[in-house]
Amino acid sequence: MPTYLARRIGQSLLTVFLTLTTVFLLVRLAPGDPASAYAAPSATSADLARIREQFGLDEPLFVQYGYFVRDLFTGDLGTSYSFHSPALDVVLDRMPYTITLAVSAIAVTTLVAVPLGVWMARRADTRRELGANVLTIAGQSMPDFWTGVMLLTVFAVLVPVLPASGFTSWSGLVLPTVTVAVLQLALISRLVRREMSTALASSYVTVARSRGVSESALTWRYALANSSVPLVTALGTRFAALLNGVVVVEVVFGWPGVGSLVVRALETRDYPLIQATVLVTATLAILVQLLVDLAYPLLDPRVRLGKAA
Amino acid sequence: MTPTPHLFPPPGPPSRRTVLRWGALGGTGVALGPLSACAGPTGAPGPGTLTLGLNRSLVSLDNKLNQFDAAVTVQRAVRQALTWIGPDLQPQLVLADRFEMTAPTAWSVRLREGVRYSDGSPVTVEDVDTALRMYGEVNGSFLLGLFPEMPTVEATGERTFLLRTERPVPVLDRLMANIHITPAKANRPEELQSGLGSGPYRVVSANGGAGEYTLARNTEYWGKQPPVDKVRVRFVPEESSRVIALRSGELDVVDTLTPDSAEQLAGLPGVAVQETPGVRICQLFYNFRKPKGHPLADARVRHALTYAIDGESLIRDVLIDSAEAAEGVVPLALQGAVRTGTYAYDPRRAKALLKSLDAEDLRITIMWESGEFAGDTSVMEAVIDMLKDVGVRASLRQFEPGGDILKWRQGRGGDWDVIGNGFPGTTGQALTSLQGMYGGTAEKERTRDTYMGYVIPRIERQLSDAATETDAAERDKKLAALQHAVWDTWPSLWAFAPKTLLARRDRVQGLALQPVNSYDLTAVRLEG
Repeated sequence: MPTYLARRIGQSLLTVFLTLTTVFLLVRLAPGDPASAYAAPSATSADLARIREQFGLDEPLFVQYGYFVRDLFTGDLGTSYSFHSPALDVVLDRMPYTITLAVSAIAVTTLVAVPLGVWMARRADTRRELGANVLTIAGQSMPDFWTGVMLLTVFAVLVPVLPASGFTSWSGLVLPTVTVAVLQLALISRLVRREMSTALASSYVTVARSRGVSESALTWRYALANSSVPLVTALGTRFAALLNGVVVVEVVFGWPGVGSLVVRALETRDYPLIQATVLVTATLAILVQLLVDLAYPLLDPRVRLGKAA
Repeated sequence: MTPTPHLFPPPGPPSRRTVLRWGALGGTGVALGPLSACAGPTGAPGPGTLTLGLNRSLVSLDNKLNQFDAAVTVQRAVRQALTWIGPDLQPQLVLADRFEMTAPTAWSVRLREGVRYSDGSPVTVEDVDTALRMYGEVNGSFLLGLFPEMPTVEATGERTFLLRTERPVPVLDRLMANIHITPAKANRPEELQSGLGSGPYRVVSANGGAGEYTLARNTEYWGKQPPVDKVRVRFVPEESSRVIALRSGELDVVDTLTPDSAEQLAGLPGVAVQETPGVRICQLFYNFRKPKGHPLADARVRHALTYAIDGESLIRDVLIDSAEAAEGVVPLALQGAVRTGTYAYDPRRAKALLKSLDAEDLRITIMWESGEFAGDTSVMEAVIDMLKDVGVRASLRQFEPGGDILKWRQGRGGDWDVIGNGFPGTTGQALTSLQGMYGGTAEKERTRDTYMGYVIPRIERQLSDAATETDAAERDKKLAALQHAVWDTWPSLWAFAPKTLLARRDRVQGLALQPVNSYDLTAVRLEG
C-alpha cells in the first residue's frame, strides 16, 4: 500500500505539473492581450509596454516559463491582474463555495439517484420504470441555465421561499444544488439500475434467495454492495468535475465559486489567475480520484491496490 | 468453560462494514445539513439595508484601476474627492470648500474645516499630494488618460494649497472629482485593498474576490448622516438572475440594464425603471488609416454611406428605444456637447452619391467586439442588409473580449473598414471625449495611439485651443465650432448614445440617476 500510494502521489504531481505547463502555453498562444485587457481604452503603446514589463510579459516565453516554474515551487503563482491580489489567495477564497456546492450536489444526487436506480431495477421493464426514466432523462436534457432560471422564477419570485442568488444563508444553497443534481440524476440512477439489474440476475442472488434471504437484504446488502464500485467511480468522476466549477449554474445563481472566476480570468486574460485555478482544481480532482481508488478495497475485498489483476 | 461474551468488541481496526456505515452516515449528514436550512431567510434585505446588485465584480473600493460607472457610486460613498460632478454635470465641492482658478495654470484650493476619515484622523494637504502622485504612478489607469497632465500640489497653509499645471487645464475642478483621497501613509500606487475614507459610509466587511461588501454609516462623517443605515453590495453577473433577484425583493437596485430587461421590468408592481440619456457614444467608426485614393479616405463617400442606414428603425426595432440616435459627435448629455446634425436615411441618395463618386461597387468589412453594446449582433446584421440595399457588400467580423480591441483599433490586427466601438464619457465633459477620439496627431499615429487613425491637424489644433481656453464661455464657443468641424469629416457610418437604465424597488426613494450611470448614495432613502 505505501508503495502504491507513493507511486500514485508521484503520478499525481507529474499530472498537475504537465497540466499547468500545458495551460501556461495554451493561454499564451490563444488570441488576446492581458495588457490591453488590463489597461484603459485610452492606453497608449507606451502604457501597454509598461504594463507588459510590470507583468513580466515582455520576456521571451521560455524565460517566463522559467520564472513560472521557479515561483511554482515556492507556492507563488503571481498576482492576479484583475484582482490585484495573490492569484492563489483569490482562488482559495472562492474554493469553499465550490466545494460546498459540489459536496451538496453530489450528496443529494446520491440520496436520490441510488434509491431511484434500485427502485427502477426492481421494477425493470414496467410502466413505472419507464415513467421514472422519462423524468430523469427530461431533467438531464434541460439546459442547466433554463432549469436554474425556472427554479428561480418559481421559488424566488412566484413563491418566494428561497433566495435568488448568492450564498448569504444556507437556504441559498438549495436551488443551485437542485439544479446541479437534476443534471446528474439520470446518469447515476440509470447506472445503478443497470448494475443492479445485472446483480439481481446473478446466480449468487438466486442461491441466496433459495436459502431464504429476504428481498430487502438481497437488494441492499448483496446486489447494491456489488454494484458499488462502478457507482463510486461514477460519483467520484462527477464530483471531480463539479470541483472545476459549474460555470452556468454559478453565473445564474450568482454563486461565488471558481467556475465564474475562471470565466472572468479567461475574459481578462488573467494568466496568473487561470494558472492558479487550474492548479487548485486539478489537484483537488486528482485527490478525489485517488480517494476513489483507495475506496475500492473497502467496497470489494477482492481488489488489491498495487497488484496486477 | 464457556467464555464470557464481550459487552463491547475488543478495540482493533474498523471493519470494512463499519467504515462504509460511517461513510454513509457522514454523507447523509452533509446532504441533509444544508437542506434542513431551507426554512432559513430568503435573502431579502432588512428594513434599513439597501442592497445593490452590480453586473461587474467590484474588486476594490479604490478607483485607481477599477473605474466603471456603478462602482464609482459605491467607491465614492467610502472615499471622497475634492469635488464631484453633480446631477447637472457641473462640479460641486466635497472635501474642498474652495476650488478656484487663480491663474491659467494654478488653482487655489482649501480643504473644508473638520473633514476627517472614518478613523477620526483629519484629511490633510499631504493626503491630496500623495493621492495625485499615486494615481500618476499607476500603470494602465483609466484616469491618467483623462488628465492632460497631473497637477502638483504646493501647500500654502494647513488647509490651503495650489494645484499647478504646466499648461492650462480649465476643467481641472471636474477632473479632480475622480481623485479619491485616502490617508497618505496608507496610499500606494496600486489599487488599495483597505477601505479607509472620509465618506458617509465605512466598510464593515469586504470580500473583493466575490465582489461583496457591506457598508455601514460612518459615525465620524463630517457631513450629514445618510438616511440608509447599511448598504450591501453584491455581484450578480447574469442579468436574468439580477432581474429575478430584484423582482423577489432580494436586491433593491440593479443598474446597467439591457433594453430587454428594462422592458420586462417596466410596469411590474413594486419595481420602477429609471432612465436618463447616456454619455457613452456607440459608433460605427470608419477606419481613418485608409490610403489616399481608397474610397473611405474620401469624406464624401463616408457621408454618402450614412444615407444607407435607417437609424430610426434600428433605434425603434432593434434597440427597443433604449438609445438615442446621435445628433452630434459626442452624446448631447455631455456638458459642452452641441447638436451638429442628424443621420438621414435616404438609400436612393446614397446610391446616387456613391455612383457619382465612383464607389458603387464598394465592399467593406465591419468588425466589433462581442457585447460592445446591447443588441450588437442584431444591429450589425441589420446594417449589412441596409448597405446591401444600396449596392454595398459588407461582411461582418466579430471578435471576443480579451484585449484584442486595442490591436484592431491600432490597425495591428489587420485591415477593416468600419468598427463598432463605444467611447465612454466618464467625466461628463464633452472636452475629454473629444480629446480621446479626435485629438490624434502625426506623432501619436507613429505609435498608433490615435483613435482609429483619426489625424486631422486642423481639428487637433482647434481642440488644443479649446482645451486650454480658460474663459468658460469662450471655451464652449470654440468647442461648438470644433464639433461642427468634426461632424463635417463624417467619422461614423452611424452612431447612437444608449440610455442609462436602472431598476429599483419602490421602497428605494431619492435615487437620482446621472447620465454618467452613477448616483449619490447619500441621497437614497428607504421607505416601507
